This record gives sequence, structure tokens and C-alpha cells, in this order.
Amino acid sequence: MLWDYFKAKGLLDRYGIKSIESRYVESKDDAVYFSEGKPIVMKLISERQLHKSKAGLVKLGLDDEKSIAKAYQELTSKGRNTRPYKIIAQKMAGSGVEAIIGGREDPQFGKLVLIGLGGIYVEAFKDFALRVCPIKEQDAMDMLDQLVSRDVVTYKGESRKMLSRLLINVSKLLNENQEIKELDLNPVILRKDGYDIVDIRVLQ
Amino acid sequence: MKDLRYILKPESVVIVGVSKTAGKVGHIILQNYINDGYSGRIYLVNKNAEEILGMKSYRRVTDIKEKGIDLAVIAVPAEAVPQVLEDCGKAKVKSAVVVSGGFAEIGKTELQDQITSIAKKYGIAMIGPNCLGVMDPRSRVNTLFLPSYKLSKPEIGGISFVAQSGAVGSTVLDLMAGEGFGISKFISYGNAADIDEVDILEYLMDDEETKVIAIYIEGIKRGKEFIELAKKITKKKPVVVLKAGRTAAGATAAHSHTAALAGSYEAHEAVFRQFGFTIANDISELLYYSKIFASEGAPGGNRIAIITNGGGAGVLTTDAIASSRDMKIAELSEKTKTALRKVMPPLVNMRNPLDLAGDADDKRYGAALEYLDADSQVDIMVVIILFQTPGADSRLAAQVASMKEKTDKPMLVLSIGAEYTEMHKRMMERSGLPVYDSPRAVALSLEALYRYYQYRNRKA
Repeated sequence: MLWDYFKAKGLLDRYGIKSIESRYVESKDDAVYFSEGKPIVMKLISERQLHKSKAGLVKLGLDDEKSIAKAYQELTSKGRNTRPYKIIAQKMAGSGVEAIIGGREDPQFGKLVLIGLGGIYVEAFKDFALRVCPIKEQDAMDMLDQLVSRDVVTYKGESRKMLSRLLINVSKLLNENQEIKELDLNPVILRKDGYDIVDIRVLQ
Repeated sequence: MKDLRYILKPESVVIVGVSKTAGKVGHIILQNYINDGYSGRIYLVNKNAEEILGMKSYRRVTDIKEKGIDLAVIAVPAEAVPQVLEDCGKAKVKSAVVVSGGFAEIGKTELQDQITSIAKKYGIAMIGPNCLGVMDPRSRVNTLFLPSYKLSKPEIGGISFVAQSGAVGSTVLDLMAGEGFGISKFISYGNAADIDEVDILEYLMDDEETKVIAIYIEGIKRGKEFIELAKKITKKKPVVVLKAGRTAAGATAAHSHTAALAGSYEAHEAVFRQFGFTIANDISELLYYSKIFASEGAPGGNRIAIITNGGGAGVLTTDAIASSRDMKIAELSEKTKTALRKVMPPLVNMRNPLDLAGDADDKRYGAALEYLDADSQVDIMVVIILFQTPGADSRLAAQVASMKEKTDKPMLVLSIGAEYTEMHKRMMERSGLPVYDSPRAVALSLEALYRYYQYRNRKA
């Protein structure tokens, strides 16, 4: 069962894992109000859709009333085939490298935590590192070093520390919430000075 | 923890299901015990109580006067195993190797559960069913039902090899014996109805005769216990693991990207990596890594010096080593270069890889190795010897082997070639030098060695 987006977001908050400002919208006016004149993203959320961007369910860079209205109309018409669905509006993330951070419960070993080069490339490149929870700082650093794309995914110094803290917090969250079977934070947009978690999926 | 002591070091053994007919499983096992020179007491059981190879045989285990026999090797048809185990229990037999197949592997889980509960009831430590059992060249225990002339006989040494599958087990054991590896224990544990990989690894972790563990695993039954063991075992000795099932279809209907990426094989691999196991991707790698761990200790660092009597082989080896993220080609110290310049012919360039030229002989190699050994900027020495060249002969092999005894640095040899090379390869390996036959094997093995000791020397 897929958790409600804001229930999942609330849990992340409690572990100090920040995700991008978001809101459900029920009309185009809702979305326009949320945008405050700045560019936003709109997505259709449905338990039946994992590959949102491939299915055209993510509308990026909506920066005026007209584009918001058009996107809203397209998403609602697509949504008819994947009921029940909701439409979420989010502030645009800054640009950076897309990573995936996630976790799942393994029947043999318990909770696992993962980081990889993310976004649309994740299943093609399969460049990821996996560990059993709970992880220590050394494990988190090993995970970053294991990535073929380590120099792309992480910047030096501070960025490695930030990512390592994020991984440790995710591992803690997974371990302390045993009902969670699968977790995707994908994409996580990594910048030199921070990150934006753009999408969250928690499965129970 | 289940004690494997009585299985591996029994003072008395009863073989159940010995046939009069040569070539039958029970008969081969008996013959191997005799051929290997097992010095404990051997009893035979078969249902007709015939005399076999001049030895008395009993109808049932309970008919034997000695009670509390250390080990029963059971090679009777599956449906007869419960009764035999009951008899063993009544006769206070301490452990059993059930060679017989015909249990869970063909769907007969009830029969397997039945023998497991009999073993538990009497406290019999049981390996199998459906396995080759064990070999210990020191105690000369050998329950393998493979005719001894078909399998190279391993020498005594420090590698313990564990395999769930009997077929992979015996082929790798044959290869190890053929390459001159010294074996401490061989354990094939089949269906793991009682003793499983966790029990076996726990035993080997504290076994002083075992220096290196190599294991072929199909699946781990007790994940949490395995993790607890994994945290301790690699702090004591290297464990090389080959896991089957890399391409097994993962969860078909994953609901998240994470689950789609990280299936069961990946989970196993994650555990191995996290706790310092050395992961082999195939049988060849299992052999490479077992070999280097058996002969080499911790390197002082990751800087490698290469000496060669063939330029091309030196370059190929440099390429293989330099493509590892962790390993470095050493920069020779000025002191070393100056010293080498004095003793080498002018055509030898003072760089790494150090090409000693095609006419290099034992003296030139000896001098180069002395200086590299003394160079504090060199942590590991790779010696390439192409035996096809005029200067390379048995004296050179002996020279390199004698250097091995002097140096504290890891040192390994790369030799590529056919019969003449093979002969020298064996000579050098017998003196404890790990010899490889490809640049890739050298690079992978050194990386495995370096990474393992990096992990092991970490603060807790």
C-alpha cells in the first residue's frame, strides 16, 4: 500500500530529512495560488503508476497561469485511467545531479538502504550501493566510494558529509519504522550546498 | 553452535551402507578411508552383514559393541535413513554425514524434516543430506564418494573450502589440488537440514588450522545470525565468497525503483561487502583470491613495483593494475634508481615497470628484487617471468623463490606459457609463491588483498 505523500513527507521531516515544498491542488486556481508567481512542477500521483516521467505525468517549469492551466487539464484527463489519483504541485528544485536514495525490507537480512545515480538513468546504469541497516558513517562513506559515478554524484568534503548524514538518517528511519517495506526518494537533486528531495514513495 | 569436531576429527567412524560391489557409493567411501590411511577405528554396516575387503560388517549400528562412535557416514537409500539415524541415536553416535540424496531437493521435505528431528532428538550433529560430506587431509577423514583416481589429492595447508553444491565443491577441490593449494578442510553441506553455512563458518572462524575460508553459497537461511557472524569472522581471517544466482529474476512486480534494483543477490552482495568478505564473481576468481590470501599477509600500502623480462607483459600488467581505483604504480625512489643504474646494463630504463630486458637472468632479477625490497616507496612486488626468454630458467625460479623467503612485502609472480612455464610455476608455488597466468588475475588478486586488510585494520 502506497502511503499518502504528506504522511511520508511528515515522517521524513521527523528524521531531519527535508523535502521540497509541496501541496495537493484541486483546481488550476489552487495551483496558481501556490505558485506565487514562481515556476512550479505538477505531478499526478497514483498507486498504479511508478514511472511518472515516462508516462508523461510530470509537468515541469510551469511559470505562468496559462501553462499551469494547460498542465492541470492534461493531468486530470490522464488521471481518468489511473483512478484514484491526486495532483500535487511543487516548487521547482534547483539544478543539480539526480540521485536516488531508497530502502527495502529483505526477507533474509532485514532493512537495506541504497544510493545510486538517479533519475531516469537509474535502472539503465544500475550504478548503486546497498547496505544493511543500521549503517555507520564509515558504511555511508564506503557506499559513496563504491559508486562508479562517485565524482559525479558527490562533490568533495562538505557534500560527502551531507550525503553521509542523509544516508544515516534514512537508515535510521527505515530501521525504526518496521512497517515500511519499500522507500524511494527519487530523484534527490544534489547540489554543492544541499539537496532537494523531489519525489517520495513509501510502501507499507 | 553445533560442533563439527566429531565430523572432522573423529576417532571412530561407522560407514553405513557399504556395498560389496566396487564402484558403489558406500564402497568408494570405505576405499577412500583405507587409501587415505585413516588411523581411527572403522566399522562397517550393511543389511546383509557381509565381509567387505576383509573387514567384518554389522547388520545394524546398534549391533556394534563400541557405543558413542564419533561419526556415522550414511550412504543408504533415502527412505532407509530415518531408521539408520534412530539406530545411531540409540548407539549414542555423536555426528553424521548423510550422503544420500532424495530429500528436499526433489520435493521430499517431509522425509527431510523427519531425519532432522531425529538428529535433534538425539543431539547428533548432522551434515547433509544430499552432500559429499567432508575431507580433512590432517585427520585423513574423507567421506567423498568420488573415486580417488579421478580427483587430485590436495596437500595439507590453510585453505578451507565450503560448498553447498557437491558438484561445484568437487570440481573446485580438484582444481585447488591440481594447482598445489594446501587444504585444511573441505565441507560440502548439501541441503543443510541441520548444520548450515552459519554453523560451518563459526567452526572455521576459530579453527587454528584454517587460515583462509573460501565458500560457495546458493542461499543463506539464517540472515540475521549470518550478519552477527559476519561482523566477527572477517576480523579474524579472510573469507572469499562465490554466490550463485546473480541473474535470478528479482521481484517481478516491484513497486519501487529500489526494489527493482536491489534483489536477493544484491542483498547478499551488500552483506558480504559491508562486512569485509572478498566477493568472487566466478570460480577462477575464487581460486585467485584463495591463493593470494593463503600466501600473503597485509601489504604496507597500495604502491606496486613491477619487474619484467618482457616489455609488453609489463605494460599489460601496468594497465590492469592502474585500472583499479585502489591500486597505484609505485614511483621508485631516487636511491633505488641510482643503485640500479650501477648494476643494470645501460639499456634498462629506470622506471616502473622495470624492464630488465629479454636476456635477464637470475642475477639481474636478484639484484633488482633486493633494491625494490629495500625501497620504502614500494609496498608490493610483482615479478613477471616469461620463461620463453633465453635467461629465464630454473635458476631464476629458484632465485625468485629465495627472495620470497627474505621479504616481508607481498610478492607474486606472473608467468604466461605452456609446459616449460608450467613446470617452473609448480616449482615456485611449492615454495609458497603465488603464481598467476594473466595480468587481470594479478590485478584482481592484489586489489582483493589490499581491500581486505584495509577493512580488517579499521578501528571498530
